[in-house]
Amino acid sequence: MNPKSEEDRIELQDLTIAIGSMTLKNPVMTASGTFGYGEEYAPFVDLNRLGAVVVKGLSLEPRSGNPPPRIMETPSGMLNAVGLQNIGVRDFIARKLPFLRRYDTAVIANIFGETVDEYRQVAEILNGTEGIHAIEVNISCPNVKRGGISFGACPDAAAEITRHIRSETDLPLIVKLTPNVTDIAQIALAVEAAGADAVSLINTVTGMSVDIERRRPHLANVTGGLSGPAIRPIALRMVWQVVRAVKVPVIGIGGIMTASDALEFLITGARAVEIGTANFIQPAATMEILDGIKDYMIRHKIGKITELIGSLDTGTQGNC
Amino acid sequence: MNEIQSMMTGVIRENRKVASDQFMMTVILPPSFPIPAPGQFVMVREANRGEPLLARPLSVYGFQKQDDHAVLELLYRLAGRGTILFSKMKPGDEVALIGPLGKGFTIPEGLTRVLFIAGGVGVAPLIFLLQDRFLTAETEKGKKPIFYLGARNVNLLVGLERLNGLCDLKLCTDDGSQGYHGPVTELLKSEIEGYDPKETVIFACGPTPMILSLGRLLKDNPIPCQVSIEERMACGLGACLGCVVAIRGPGRKREYVRVCLEGPVFDLKEVLPTSSVDMQGSENES
Ligand SMILES: Cc1cc2nc3c(=O)[nH]c(=O)nc-3n(C[C@H](O)[C@H](O)[C@H](O)COP(=O)(O)OP(=O)(O)OC[C@H]3O[C@@H](n4cnc5c(N)ncnc54)[C@H](O)[C@@H]3O)c2cc1C
Ligand SMILES: Cc1cc2nc3c(=O)[nH]c(=O)nc-3n(C[C@H](O)[C@H](O)[C@H](O)COP(=O)(O)O)c2cc1C
Ligand code: FES
Repeated sequence: MNPKSEEDRIELQDLTIAIGSMTLKNPVMTASGTFGYGEEYAPFVDLNRLGAVVVKGLSLEPRSGNPPPRIMETPSGMLNAVGLQNIGVRDFIARKLPFLRRYDTAVIANIFGETVDEYRQVAEILNGTEGIHAIEVNISCPNVKRGGISFGACPDAAAEITRHIRSETDLPLIVKLTPNVTDIAQIALAVEAAGADAVSLINTVTGMSVDIERRRPHLANVTGGLSGPAIRPIALRMVWQVVRAVKVPVIGIGGIMTASDALEFLITGARAVEIGTANFIQPAATMEILDGIKDYMIRHKIGKITELIGSLDTGTQGNC
Repeated sequence: MNEIQSMMTGVIRENRKVASDQFMMTVILPPSFPIPAPGQFVMVREANRGEPLLARPLSVYGFQKQDDHAVLELLYRLAGRGTILFSKMKPGDEVALIGPLGKGFTIPEGLTRVLFIAGGVGVAPLIFLLQDRFLTAETEKGKKPIFYLGARNVNLLVGLERLNGLCDLKLCTDDGSQGYHGPVTELLKSEIEGYDPKETVIFACGPTPMILSLGRLLKDNPIPCQVSIEERMACGLGACLGCVVAIRGPGRKREYVRVCLEGPVFDLKEVLPTSSVDMQGSENES
């Protein structure tokens, strides 16, 4: 093969995708809580090449998080009970955002709160902040007012949060869904109707593990969130369910370690993917995944990534 | 943030048993691997294996830089699945390494008396510290470093060949099979009055019970003590917030800091090692 023509084709590849009013240069983003505030990975990753950086979850005030031990490795995955430790939204803007502004990459602020009003206030502070390109709302947090049940487990509560944030901001609004529900498509429909520009899924799957010698839980918090390859088939199934239910873009998350994992999600209909636990194991995982997607497109003569998205052929199966 | 850190594949040159439950691994790396400071660690993973998923943190035990390669030495105890799999690796096998990571030991000015307190495999970062920083000028000015080294029994005392001649060695075993019969901290307790707090510093690393009893012993003693702390890690880079330990921060306020970034070396009087991994000793906030 003539090497020049191959190079030309690489240049011709179009990986751009749109999420609401935001255009990303490619569909490979980082997952909240697994990439710090970006600077931790700058020695290993060219942040300019990422579709977007999603930062660690931000709350109105700083939070100290759960006592240790906070993590435990499990088969093909890990449990974490970090407890949403973070420096608070104001400190993030003052101390962490200036570093990210130096890069030509979209910055997505992941936010959470304990009350609807807290969510709203965090969004209000972020709105109009230079260098913030979108908001991702983590609705997996316990709703203190409703007896600690996750906001994300209840369509009404999820929609209420979405509406309040929507009224505060014109930034693209992504609602991040929890898998710990009976019918994830129902939650997705509720937040779409309330004004979400996109949904991302999945957050971690609640799990547990026990030290049998001591007869104690491995995590001080007893339960934790499972992430990594172990949850990938669940995540993919849920993306499939949600893609068919809503019209807004879906961002796939869960156990994506390689380009082929990412491609499974894109083909199933995810418009973009977030890479989480993989960053811990291979700090440059996002770069390898991006390169692998490009190679695949060359191999399959695909010029635009949008041609690939949702191209899953189920035949007559799987529609029931 | 760490100034220099890198991600590299290393090739095992040697991986040999040095005690019934401990191995030493020698890894050949490209010469560009940044020179580690004593107390720093690396995240180690078998390069071509998917499971276990996460890399394991191991302290730098030795490091030499040559023109065309670097040699990294690791001393590890068989603690569970990951380290047992490490012990099965052969010369020529590849490991994926991230490092050097974390904040190592700080050497205060004007020292004349240096004490090392090591329990078990905790000897690894302390031997590197001794060899790297106390072979030259500092020791000439002052008194010979004193190295308290403890293990369960004589067969588990490792690193002695590296310590001979460099320091006054005080060995302790839990079963009395060599040296002092009892924990290192007990021997130190009986001798602590002999050290002048103004000119002494302690460097320590060992299992949580040892750290906790050291905390009790030095509670009302002004001798400064730097201790290397262990906690489970996922990223090693400060991103996952999985590896935290409680410290008394400014204003004596309790807060969580990352062992991988703000540590692993802490001031013993500030750190509150609650659990380290085995969740014992929370009643012992020194
Ligand atoms: C900064 C740092 C430096 C270290 N340096 C060394 C070293 O030089 N040599 C050495 O032998 N060990 C060292 N350790 C401990 C080593 O990382 C663990 O023993 C190892 O990760 C256990 O992995 P495993 O898969 O064999 O055991 P697992 O099956 O994961 O666990 C076995 C047991 O070890 C405990 N454990 C798991 N992870 C850690 C951890 N990160 N720290 C402490 N205990 C843990 C578990 O709770 C369990 O009780 C260091 C740890 C840290 C944080
Ligand atoms: C240590 C850790 C911290 C996380 N913190 C957050 C967070 O702050 N906000 C959030 O929305 N999701 C958080 N997540 C969930 C991830 O963003 C992601 O949804 C999940 O880990 C599944 O993807 P993965 O299997 O690729 O890791 C966290 C996950 C891990 C492992
Ligand atoms: S191991 Fe991830 S923050 Fe320390």
